[in-house]
Amino acid sequence: MAKVSDIVLWDKPGERVLLLGNQAIARGALEANIAVYAAYPGTPSSELTDTMAVVSKKAGVYMEYSTNEKVAFETALAAAWSGLRAMTAMKHVGLNVAADTFLSAVGMGVEGGFVIMVADDPSMWSSQNEQDTRIYAKFANVPVLEPSDPQEAKEMTKYAFELSEKFKHFVILRTTTRTSHARGDVVLGELPEEIKQGKRKFGKFKKDPNRFVDVPANARKFHPVILEKIEKIREELNNCPFNWIEGDENAKVGIIAPGLSYAYVKEALAWLGVDDVKILKLGTPFPVPYGLLEKFFQGLEMVLIVEELEPVVEEQVKTWAYDRGFTIPIHGKDLVPRVYEMTTRRAVTAIAKFLGLETPINFEELDAKYEKVKPLLPPRPPSLCPACPHRNSFYAIKKATRARAIYPSDIGCYTLGLLPPLQTVDTTVAMGASIGIAHGLSIAQNGSLSEEQRNPEKQVIVATIGDSTFYHTGLPALANAIYNRSNVLIVVLDNLVTAMTGDQPNPSTGQTPHGMGKRIPIEDVAKAMGADFVAVVDPYDIKTTYETIKKALEVEGVSVVVSRQVCALYKVGQMRRRGMKWPIYQVNEEKCTGCRVCINAYGCPAIYWDEEKRQARVEPTMCWGCGGCAQVCPFGAFEPVKEGSQ
Amino acid sequence: MREYNIVITGVGGQGVLTAANVLGWAALRAGYKVRIGEVHGMSQRFGSVISYVRFGEDVYGSMVPEGKADVMLSFEPVEALRYINYLKEGGVVVVNTKPIVPVQVSMGMAKYPSLEEIRKVFEEDFKAKWIGFNAEELAEQAGHVVTTNTVLIGALTQIPEFPLDAEHVREVIKLSVPPKAVEMNMKAFDLGIKAAKEILGL
Repeated sequence: MAKVSDIVLWDKPGERVLLLGNQAIARGALEANIAVYAAYPGTPSSELTDTMAVVSKKAGVYMEYSTNEKVAFETALAAAWSGLRAMTAMKHVGLNVAADTFLSAVGMGVEGGFVIMVADDPSMWSSQNEQDTRIYAKFANVPVLEPSDPQEAKEMTKYAFELSEKFKHFVILRTTTRTSHARGDVVLGELPEEIKQGKRKFGKFKKDPNRFVDVPANARKFHPVILEKIEKIREELNNCPFNWIEGDENAKVGIIAPGLSYAYVKEALAWLGVDDVKILKLGTPFPVPYGLLEKFFQGLEMVLIVEELEPVVEEQVKTWAYDRGFTIPIHGKDLVPRVYEMTTRRAVTAIAKFLGLETPINFEELDAKYEKVKPLLPPRPPSLCPACPHRNSFYAIKKATRARAIYPSDIGCYTLGLLPPLQTVDTTVAMGASIGIAHGLSIAQNGSLSEEQRNPEKQVIVATIGDSTFYHTGLPALANAIYNRSNVLIVVLDNLVTAMTGDQPNPSTGQTPHGMGKRIPIEDVAKAMGADFVAVVDPYDIKTTYETIKKALEVEGVSVVVSRQVCALYKVGQMRRRGMKWPIYQVNEEKCTGCRVCINAYGCPAIYWDEEKRQARVEPTMCWGCGGCAQVCPFGAFEPVKEGSQ
Repeated sequence: MREYNIVITGVGGQGVLTAANVLGWAALRAGYKVRIGEVHGMSQRFGSVISYVRFGEDVYGSMVPEGKADVMLSFEPVEALRYINYLKEGGVVVVNTKPIVPVQVSMGMAKYPSLEEIRKVFEEDFKAKWIGFNAEELAEQAGHVVTTNTVLIGALTQIPEFPLDAEHVREVIKLSVPPKAVEMNMKAFDLGIKAAKEILGL
């Protein structure tokens, strides 16, 4: 099939293509003539940014991978202040990072359309919590648009820019994992001339200190303006093309279905064979347009709101209905779970209960049957890849600390160091938090080096953090730890790429989508900040890594060891594309004593246990040739036996 | 056809998403409305994965509800069993019988069930049709183990009442693999077809 980068830029209006929700949003932004795009990757939003990265040059759009969500937000916002159409994207927890700017700047409004794409992750497939961005939208009094399929995601993106420009207000485009990571058929629309020609657009910033300087005297004027705007937008949304009433006009029962829940409701009703209901399809869960509610409620005797996560729509509808004097029953979170993601099963179960029907499948029976299967299933959590340099770093850290340290860690692939056999991750909270937590632990357990009273029974603390995370929010925490005379070892797991979200570049990579940026070596930063010990190691050399960590642990103060080796998944991908080969390790049966160190202490997924021979074995299709096994085996049983290209 | 539901299961990195994409494009080119549901990010790294492919005149959400999959395409036996509750009664499973043993099993923290045990649950408890064979071996015969998913897709096209034409699916694979890998993948596709035909007695 054609490459996605080509499809997203195709000048073929009317063509029907298969696109990921995130790619459809990128196309929508192009059709809206976007000028500036800035974001930090975060699952499930990342593919939008990656798509913009590969099309931006041709489309004349300025695009950057920013170092965190707050600075990405500010980059795009300033462009919107300069009259350009601008967009930023992040995952739900990313909005927390950008929240400071978001909540303060909303009163200033924008000149060019400004769209904030936020991807929520109900059920937390790749996240640390399942916060509902619609609550943020309500908190900030910013309208939120929520698509129900990839086609609508594209159309809504265009509409979001128009709405933002019309009201000079921020607009949030909210997706969930199941819209961002759903592929569906999308009909391409027209691309503007400037995008087709790849013409870079420049804006003009008109100085207005009364608007853009958020001193209290100005801020006081903003809040009432925001409230006025949101009520006007609520009016406008009565005519929003993504809100409509459908189904049986004379029905006595009504279902309100915001965003993606609309898809589940439609499917559930078809499955139940029910058609005598009225549906209010809501593309704008906040603010809910009252005019449309008024129409929808006519003739209804009961209403069900099927929404994912928090009762955002439910609370608005119930408040409105009370004020209007409606006394019919309005159901919502009493029938639809408030945690984890919406599914057709959940929708069908809630609607069946609401209407007093049987579900089309006896789910309890199915569950009971599946309960009997569960004991047969070995767990298979995600794991660090074969040849992952982080495995070696963790192995060396654990050995050097004799497994007795506290190990605060951070957000990235390396969080998987939590699992056996490595078990070198004791805390993970939020981006950059490993260094802050390590410092706090050091103060709580040992005291500060600058204090007179310190705890003589020193507790060793070893924090781990990735390169991208280090630049995201690790920097201020490192400055804080050094300034306050902490006593910690920070191992920066520098694999030169933002691996977990799909190999995006960062300051440690140096490369940007447009060519070379300026690489910032982590060790230079640590030295400049005044760390007490700084070293760089190659984790593929386990012995030196171990010895360097041992040395670092003896130093009082903040030690920074940069453990640098390129991400194995990234490297193998590149090698495969170039047709390159790498050594594959095998177990020499003469030498393997069956001691299990490679399995019980090192834990490479390519190594398994041969139950019959009581020896370790390497699965050749999974070996990526790092040779770590050969270094940890006390008997030299692992040998590179052939060149492979698996 | 109102809807046809496929679940694809396996271990992250085996090509589950690629297979879903191939089937999705084939369905789109056949004129159907298409939905594919995927999971990205950390959950993909050598962990258990499931993807959904749905097509027809009337499809909405990207996830197949439990008990509603017409077929399951599985790259690994335990990962077939893990998602058996998605299969409808009388559904079909096309499964690569070559196991990938999780680290937890090698460490002695868990047990890997036998292939016979797995097959029994499919056939007896869930009344499913089992099409199991070592697809990795056939992929190696075709030229490289990376063609395992092509072998399995080939086999999938042979199951009774499968709504996509095998030749259409073949076209999409041809277009989606690098030019130098086309021949190898075509061979893998044919080996998959042959394996399924033998098992089904066609």
